[in-house]
Amino acid sequence: MSNTFQAVFVKAWPWWAGGLAIGLLVPAMYVLTNTALGVSTGYGNVLFCVMPRTNLIWLKKTFKERWSWRVFFLGGMIAGGFLSARLASRPLVTTGMGALTASVSTGSAALVLFLGGLLLGVGARVAGGCTSGHSIHGTANLHLGSIVATAVFFVAGVITTRAVVLPLLGGVGP
Amino acid sequence: MRSLVESKWIYGLLGAFFGFALSRSGATEYDLIHQMFTGQNLKIVYLMGSAVVVAALGMRALKLLGNRTITGQEIKVHQKPLHWGNVVGGLVFGTGWALSGACPGTVLGQIGEGKALALFTVAGLIAGTYIYTLLVERWPGLSS
Repeated sequence: MSNTFQAVFVKAWPWWAGGLAIGLLVPAMYVLTNTALGVSTGYGNVLFCVMPRTNLIWLKKTFKERWSWRVFFLGGMIAGGFLSARLASRPLVTTGMGALTASVSTGSAALVLFLGGLLLGVGARVAGGCTSGHSIHGTANLHLGSIVATAVFFVAGVITTRAVVLPLLGGVGP
Repeated sequence: MRSLVESKWIYGLLGAFFGFALSRSGATEYDLIHQMFTGQNLKIVYLMGSAVVVAALGMRALKLLGNRTITGQEIKVHQKPLHWGNVVGGLVFGTGWALSGACPGTVLGQIGEGKALALFTVAGLIAGTYIYTLLVERWPGLSS
């Protein structure tokens, strides 16, 4: 029992355990709530929470409710990460970000992460979804747009890593 | 159970499960995302691939069981049709994925884990979504 507890709550999961858990989440969300797994639209909902009286067309059209399910889902994800790190006894706060902070200053890392986040935000909306809504939910349901988007995500990721990230890390990489 | 699934707290629980699973399996590690793109370590590819297979089988099973939710509603899956935005937005998204070593979901797990710099990624995501809303004002065709 103690070993099972260690494997589930303390040690890192093997890829198949994560795949099983995340894969089961998709039908589980339909059975329990009849909703499609997706995260990135939630960031628009966060904007709508901050500016409920906005006249911006997309926000008004997409969000009918200030505190929709998406806000709860995003908040839950933060809680899940918190729980995971607590059970593994990781430090409460760290300024480390793997090979990035091992290679560049904290300030430069923050700038790169902000820029990366900016592109994730614009890109997910133009693409109509992210790695959850397209790559997991959409691909599993054989949506053509999702399969194409996922392939393009990977192509752009590999190109950017070779052209920008590896030179940035200066070969100090992992 | 019925009152739980009809309240919004169920989404908090489902989100916590997702964030926990992403964190446990290493999807919130910058290095694992980076090493996936360099080809050094494909754990995240296997993770995503197996998640897709399990989700597809699960959706198939739901269909065989009559496509009903726990409260008896009919399950409806909205199609995401092919759109030029999948390619253009996908290129922008993939670039952001490689730069930040995170995606809109895993960055939330990073925040919970206490990775302070992930706050910059989230700030970028919110700002990027805001930029999109401004772009749509001018070019409504951007909205898929």
